[in-house]
Amino acid sequence: MRFIPLAVAGLSALVLTACTTGKEAGPSLGAPKPSGASSQALPPATLELWHGFSTDAEVKAFEDAIAGFNKKFPQIKVNAKKGIQDDQITAAIRGGKAPDVAASFTTDNVAQWCSSGAFQDLTPVIKSDGIDLTVLPAASRSYTEFQGKRCMMPLLADAYGMFYNKALMKGEQPPKTLSELTELTKKLTVRDADGNIKVAGFMPSTQYYENSPSHLGPMTGAKWYNEDGTSAIGSDPAWKELLTWQKDLVDWFGYEKLEKFRKSLGDEWGAEHPFFEGKVAMVLDGEWRTAMIANDPEAKSLDYGTAPLPVSDTKPDLFGSGFTAGSVIGVPRGAKNPQHAWELVKHLTTDTESLVTLSNALRNVPTTKAAAESPNLSDDEKFKTFLDIFSHPKTSTLPANINSVFNQDVFSTFLIQWEKGAVKDLDAGLKDVDKRINDKMKLSGG
Amino acid sequence: MASPVHAAPKPSRWRRSEGLRALVWMSPFLVGLMVFLIYPLIATVYYSFHRYDLFTLEFIGLDNYAYVLKDERVWQSATNTLWLVVFMVPAQLLFALGLALLLTKIKTGAAIFRTIFFLPSLIPLVAGTVAFVFLLNPGTGAVNQVLAAVGITGPDWFGDPAWSKPSLTMLAMWGVGNTMMIFLAALLDVPKHLYEAASIDGAGAFRQFRSITLPMISPVLMFSTITGVIYALQYFTQAMIASRVASGSTDSAGSVFTPGYPDGSLLTLPQHLFQSGFRDWSMGMASVHALMLFVAAMVFTLILLRQFRFAEEAR
Amino acid sequence: MSTTITAPPATAPARRGGTSPRDSRRRKTLMWIATHSIAIALAIMFIAPIFFVALTSLMTDDQALTSELWPQSWHFENFADVFAKSKLLQWTLNTFIYAGLATLFMLLSSVPVAYALARFRFRGRKATLLLVITWMMLPPQVVAVPVFIIWARFDLTGSLWPLILPLLLGDVYSIFLLRQFLVTIPRDYTDAAKVDGCSDFKTLIRVILPMARPAIAAVALFSFFYCWNDYYGPLMYTDPGDQGTWTLSLGLATFKAFHSVAWNLTMAATLLVTAPVIVVFFFAQRVFIEGVTLTGVKG
Repeated sequence: MRFIPLAVAGLSALVLTACTTGKEAGPSLGAPKPSGASSQALPPATLELWHGFSTDAEVKAFEDAIAGFNKKFPQIKVNAKKGIQDDQITAAIRGGKAPDVAASFTTDNVAQWCSSGAFQDLTPVIKSDGIDLTVLPAASRSYTEFQGKRCMMPLLADAYGMFYNKALMKGEQPPKTLSELTELTKKLTVRDADGNIKVAGFMPSTQYYENSPSHLGPMTGAKWYNEDGTSAIGSDPAWKELLTWQKDLVDWFGYEKLEKFRKSLGDEWGAEHPFFEGKVAMVLDGEWRTAMIANDPEAKSLDYGTAPLPVSDTKPDLFGSGFTAGSVIGVPRGAKNPQHAWELVKHLTTDTESLVTLSNALRNVPTTKAAAESPNLSDDEKFKTFLDIFSHPKTSTLPANINSVFNQDVFSTFLIQWEKGAVKDLDAGLKDVDKRINDKMKLSGG
Repeated sequence: MASPVHAAPKPSRWRRSEGLRALVWMSPFLVGLMVFLIYPLIATVYYSFHRYDLFTLEFIGLDNYAYVLKDERVWQSATNTLWLVVFMVPAQLLFALGLALLLTKIKTGAAIFRTIFFLPSLIPLVAGTVAFVFLLNPGTGAVNQVLAAVGITGPDWFGDPAWSKPSLTMLAMWGVGNTMMIFLAALLDVPKHLYEAASIDGAGAFRQFRSITLPMISPVLMFSTITGVIYALQYFTQAMIASRVASGSTDSAGSVFTPGYPDGSLLTLPQHLFQSGFRDWSMGMASVHALMLFVAAMVFTLILLRQFRFAEEAR
Repeated sequence: MSTTITAPPATAPARRGGTSPRDSRRRKTLMWIATHSIAIALAIMFIAPIFFVALTSLMTDDQALTSELWPQSWHFENFADVFAKSKLLQWTLNTFIYAGLATLFMLLSSVPVAYALARFRFRGRKATLLLVITWMMLPPQVVAVPVFIIWARFDLTGSLWPLILPLLLGDVYSIFLLRQFLVTIPRDYTDAAKVDGCSDFKTLIRVILPMARPAIAAVALFSFFYCWNDYYGPLMYTDPGDQGTWTLSLGLATFKAFHSVAWNLTMAATLLVTAPVIVVFFFAQRVFIEGVTLTGVKG
């Protein structure tokens, strides 16, 4: 009996080595098999594609784009699964159940996916297929690669601006500066006798749908990271400016009233969106909202306009810019048919006709120059605002960082405390956010 | 066959082979013990010294430990878990005991009341939690509407860090039927003549409860305490679902949900472990969390087992 | 539930002197009113959540977002909508397979172990029992990391198998409860069987099992319910991209977000998930209550 502990230890060591020497990742990309002409001869296969679109109209548009691919490759069947979120993609890849192709709405995980090898490096096939990446704008190129590994392709881009409900604006023009936004919010907000909010001019809560710090930051030109990758949140005065402005407005509403109102609102992706229902006059939102409004049987008659976001009073040159990011698509490690998968990714991200079709249906910003200039891209004044924001020189994106999700979460968590007034010292609070981001960075070996 | 025969079987031969036979009977279980308990415990210690994302394994010494010690979320989640042990478990037990006592006094319709009190414990956890969050919604939920009707402004329940854990405690009390049933059975098992004798001695209801009821049901009470604590230490589902539904933030595809809403007040240690291990894929850090949980579970086990033994011996 | 422990025996008041039988009857009546009003108040509170959920499930999606509690119009088609919009049937089936197989495997593997622990005297029996208790106390998350890695290695993540297969090797909670019950069976019975020349196996089948039927029913019921309720397990192991592998808990947890639906359908789904359990309860009420009670008393 005495040697049992020893046996256990030995056994464990054996199993440990067996379990940690990573499993074979399956076939990978970059085998010297040029696509193009010869790729029509790819053997028949069924691809599994995961994407995040969830509304019926979006799903249909995306499936139309896939149908275009099927015309080119009739032998490849694409099995698309809707409504998939990033953590589900990562979980599946880590667990060895990766789909052949996965698309994400955000760029948050690109750094982590590229650096860990969760998505395959596309560089070799891009080279062998002779794809010229300079047709992509620099921003889109940068958010799809990390430290020289290009593991993603930009599918469509998003730009963020302001939507305003003309009926609720009382004849006012959309605000250009933060102080104008404050003033207008106060003017447009409607309350009942008990002080409960009935219509909000603008929701200043960072917990409200698209009001994440990454989307709000460009209003004051706030920076996330220093050159060396450490957090700049505590040292960039632009954050302080933004947060002070935002808190003042929250306090004007009253945090509790605001929260009560926020929680009574409908689903962001459903037909009861507060903007559709006339419960908020001005919202920060992405360009795709134009398509959602057009596709909604009740909201399509809404009289609304779009404009760039208002900016800091001291930095008027920022006006016209905004936040951009986009959906990205790539081939995960462990894909069963990586070569087929790449053909699909290539088609969806570089085929002008496909991009224009998708852009027209989803009202997303097309990423290639050819698609952006295509005469088939439907003209629409409300959508044009976002094309302009997208191409504005000061428009920014969230820089890639392996802990991007964690960092944003740390910041958002702090912001909730800040909003409700639990933070006494803003500087110290932001410094603490810095420290937590940097500590995590060190642990991740970044 | 049923008639017991007292001629003892040859003990020596039986005895000698008993160990071997027991081993045969238990061998699948022993394999399970190795594969699903002993090995994982050792492996957890091993991983805790590494950076491991299921793709690459890298030795980093005590870095995970150093980080965890400084991580506010770890301490927050440990405190939350402790809160559940200290407040939720007693609240549940006392409420269950109260219900059971009440049921023993009910003369009319006892069976109906018993069924009504028991019923919520059958409702699937996720369903019950989703429903509770909806009913406690500050803007549209029924509870605050009813409170407003009698002139009380209800709190923001699952949206207020001060109220979120009490809200979960209410949910736990609602589903206390199992424990109540156990207590009820124990109470009815107390021999009636004891009360009669005490009554004759002039003992009041409270003294009867303290000197007869309590000692008689103490083993059952103890067992329910132990299971309650075990349950609180692994508390995951209700907190996760409540945060998810109450925050509403998951409603956007592409957004990443972080458990604990509001303000991390519902983040329990098992959730934090799950998040770091199976959402951030920092297996090393999750292993440190697992070891913390292990230590906590062992401490409570020892305390409770010792108490249990005292109680047993005292009888 | 006819037992009562309160009514003081008729002799008591007489001994204390002062109180007349009339007073005692009045006190009894007051007591009756007090206990029953408390019970009724509590019963309303216990039922109210289900009632409001049911009302909401019949509203329009617009009305479910308002603070009104009573449906303006009744929409029973909401329930059909839930089936149309989600894979509720598939989830139910998966949950059934999970809970059914897990329970079956648990019984096959745990009864023999409990039998061995309760009946055989061998060196290390106490140690094994202690291990069982310790394991029982341990939150499943403690060993989650290596266990997940094992299943990923065997390519079984993305399914419910990692939750079902381990039960072939025994479940500590069930082993413990069964063992506690089995030790109360007098040794005489098994000794007699041995003298009659029964093997261990035959003794288990012919003597132990029939006597342990209530305990077995109880652990089976518990195991089934545990799996039926389980959210953590399926969250870890089922395929996040394939709703066809999900269970009811998982589907319901993301129901509102995933299907972009309002509260009315979510509440309808909640009721649909709850209904089968309640129905089963009313058919097998006795088994339930006996089972619950047994686990508490034998522990």
